[in-house]
Amino acid sequence: MRWIAWAFMLILIGIVLLNWERARSPAEIRFSSSDVFTLDPQRMTYMQDLRISRSLFEGLCTPDPDTGAPAPGVATSWEQSADGRSWTFHLRPDARWSNGDPVTSYDFRNAWRRLLLPDTAADYSDLLFLIRGAREFFAWRTNALTQYASSDRHDAQAADALWQQTTEQFNRTVGIHTPDAQTLVVELERPVPYWLDLCGFQTLAPIHQQSLDKFTRIDPTSGLVKSNPGWTKPGVLITNGPMKLVDWKYKREMRLEPNEMYVGVNPPLAKSVEVIPIEDASTAVLAYESGGIDWISDLTAEFRADLAQSSRRWLDRHRVEFDLRIGAGATVDEALAALPAPDVALGERRDVHVLSAFGTDFWSFNCRPKLSNGSVNPFADARVRRAFAMAVDKAAITASVTRLNEPIATTLVPRGSIAGYDSPAGLPFDVARARGEMTAAGWIDRDGNGIVENGAGEPFPTVDMLYMTGNPRVKNIALALASMWRDALGVQCALRGKDGKFAKEDLRLGNFMVARGGWYGDYADPTTFLDLSRTGNGNNDRAFSNPRFDALLAQAAAEMDQAKRMAILTDAERLLVEDEMPILPLCQYVTLYMYDPVKMRGIVRNPRLDQRLSQLRRVDRPAQGSTP
Amino acid sequence: MTSFIIRRLLQLPLVLLAVIVVTFALVWLIPGNPMLQEGRQPPPEVVEAMNRQYQLDSPVRFLGGYLSRVTGVGWVLGWNEKPFDLGPSMRHPDWTVNEIISAGFPISATIGLGAIAIALVIGTIAGLIGGLRPGSWLDAATQTIALVGISVPSFVTGSLLIVLLAAKFRIFPIAGWGTPAHALLPMLTLSLPFAAYIARLLRFGLVEQMSTNHLRTALAKGLSRRQAAWRHALKNAFLPVLSFLGPATAVAMTGSFVVEKVFAIPGLGRHFVDAVLGKDITLVMGVVLVYAVLLILLNLVVDVLYAWIDPRIDLAASGTR
Repeated sequence: MRWIAWAFMLILIGIVLLNWERARSPAEIRFSSSDVFTLDPQRMTYMQDLRISRSLFEGLCTPDPDTGAPAPGVATSWEQSADGRSWTFHLRPDARWSNGDPVTSYDFRNAWRRLLLPDTAADYSDLLFLIRGAREFFAWRTNALTQYASSDRHDAQAADALWQQTTEQFNRTVGIHTPDAQTLVVELERPVPYWLDLCGFQTLAPIHQQSLDKFTRIDPTSGLVKSNPGWTKPGVLITNGPMKLVDWKYKREMRLEPNEMYVGVNPPLAKSVEVIPIEDASTAVLAYESGGIDWISDLTAEFRADLAQSSRRWLDRHRVEFDLRIGAGATVDEALAALPAPDVALGERRDVHVLSAFGTDFWSFNCRPKLSNGSVNPFADARVRRAFAMAVDKAAITASVTRLNEPIATTLVPRGSIAGYDSPAGLPFDVARARGEMTAAGWIDRDGNGIVENGAGEPFPTVDMLYMTGNPRVKNIALALASMWRDALGVQCALRGKDGKFAKEDLRLGNFMVARGGWYGDYADPTTFLDLSRTGNGNNDRAFSNPRFDALLAQAAAEMDQAKRMAILTDAERLLVEDEMPILPLCQYVTLYMYDPVKMRGIVRNPRLDQRLSQLRRVDRPAQGSTP
Repeated sequence: MTSFIIRRLLQLPLVLLAVIVVTFALVWLIPGNPMLQEGRQPPPEVVEAMNRQYQLDSPVRFLGGYLSRVTGVGWVLGWNEKPFDLGPSMRHPDWTVNEIISAGFPISATIGLGAIAIALVIGTIAGLIGGLRPGSWLDAATQTIALVGISVPSFVTGSLLIVLLAAKFRIFPIAGWGTPAHALLPMLTLSLPFAAYIARLLRFGLVEQMSTNHLRTALAKGLSRRQAAWRHALKNAFLPVLSFLGPATAVAMTGSFVVEKVFAIPGLGRHFVDAVLGKDITLVMGVVLVYAVLLILLNLVVDVLYAWIDPRIDLAASGTR
């Protein structure tokens, strides 16, 4: 018996020793974030990945952090041709990769070609479909691969020949040209007013092709270009942004430090930044409270509304002084840091920040004529959709259900978020009008039982409300909507919560009457929201289709005059949010940050929330050196 | 005995093959596409390209390719660069499943083995106290504590321990991984249900053993209760604990999702649940394989130990049945 115990102890000690690591000096800034999925710029889709990428890679443009307007990045200047279709970018001659190689226009062309190859399996490939010949190239390559798979010759030589053919096809047909190492010319299919904005989007960042090539091979059986994981690891990943990757352990930690080779418009201020994924929301708050992290980049703890109220209470007490300081030109964080310290006895705090985001929380109405079970869909009638929209007291929901006082939304494009765009008014909260719409649609309580019936005496079918489980906020909103609709309109509602993947499948199949939705914009143009309702759009879960709306979008796309184009888009959105109502906008999304402005600076508050990790800094203690 | 072990090891590949096929069928049936995120849906041609690159367009080709990579057959035939390659993770394309498992498993195993060690110490002491004096107040007390230990879920004990020992008294770090101090609270949290189980098994085993004939003889020869229990009863009373320890160690070592989530530990249990939720087919299958191998090996160890403790068990005979 004894030797078992000894053997057991030895194994145990061995494993503990294996895990033991030399403790490192903590980074200057440590923050918690959701798990990072990938550091491959072309394959990114998640906010947390794009945020890290912003400091690792620099695109042609970098949006101004405060206004979101496109500003120089690797490109110092650019010109647009008279017809608006061609752009010429001039790159900094002194731009360098972290290994000292120059950043050239070829690096951009290679990265964009990679984004446009179906082989890369990149979510955002279609962003580049705006470039002349790009969509056709994507289809050509897909077709070529299919033909290769069905041909009878599958060896390295044949695969290489196919690849050779592909690069030639790309160079010949896609509107991306590199007259010299510092010049990039892009020809677009049509004038795209938000093209510069896209040039600041991280999936269009350049890559260091030579380091990627070592991990890439052409698969002889399928002809596909396959990249092995590994080229984004510390020590291998070559970056051109203000920071470089020093350490990355899967779902454990990631460390960025200044890239000494960086010459550009955003020199880093942070000495070192550590990303620590903490999944459990309450643990993250405890880690923050004990000083383990300096910033929670997405505060999701269930008690977050109470935390936010503690901060609001403190700020309300000092509102006059705060406004004075802002009026004198201080930034929000400077003003907050200068106010008297919060009174802990009163339960006040200064470190919870509710920031508006570039996204809208909404509910979808199923617009298909029939439901997935074959029965008639009452929501195919726009009058019913308008009635349901006007029966919702959104202010009550944000004040007492979510308790975060998000700005109420009556439009899909967040009001005031895009310069030059006038949002339509949208529909108000008006129960009388809502009942009128129901009556007009033929839904009247004919037998006095509190439930509305149609002309044939059939009661309004129980409203099937689909929502995603896992977030109490969503369920609470669903409960509030159900009770408002029951009280105002005389309909029965039934909630149906499903796990994410299953709910998404139901949305795709149209198996719902109303369903929870939401959207974050990708670029500063109303179409990033309005495209959702275009006929046949992949994200049009509602299967909404309106020829007039589609025509307005097409008309806007062809309009060269920016002011006129915006006016057309306003008309298009008015059609959506005042007449057709495929979507019921509830409120603008907010993101909650937790950080102490006395200790940390550098957070931007523009709704794009495009945080620059390289610009964060501690202000309460002298900066610590980098890794010993 | 040797032939028994060899026979069992020869069965291993067949069992694993069955595990791979069944797991694959189950994961494939989860709706949705692992390549897509929750919000934005790319155009259909892009989705089609993703499916092609990851062979999501054909379950037969996917499973065939997977088997050739994992078993090493493809390597022998020169199709693949290396054998026993579990492939890239579908949700985290920068990492191979081999990398994820080799980073996560030692962490989960450390916590698991530590938890089992702590559970053995606590459980044995509590079981002895109760088993030697059945019906006494000490027995009632330890059994009640054990019942509580089994019933209280670890997210409660874990959170309680964090709030008390880490946040309030600041004895331990709150979350994360890297130093032995990080490991202690999760080990303790994970050990409690196991300890309670061991205590109950040992207590009932002891009570039963103390009433057998050979124990009565030992007592009649003049041994004290304690001596008799220590020399003669404990070994036999430990058999049920031993058969519990095999699968329990496998469960503990492959990681507890709850404990790893509460303490923000990058272990295998968390990776597994995240993988299932995200339909990360290759990662799910990789972790299930590791779990299956571990379970089979630990059960083998338990069987061998059984024969060693109880000479009446004849492994060679049982194997031929």
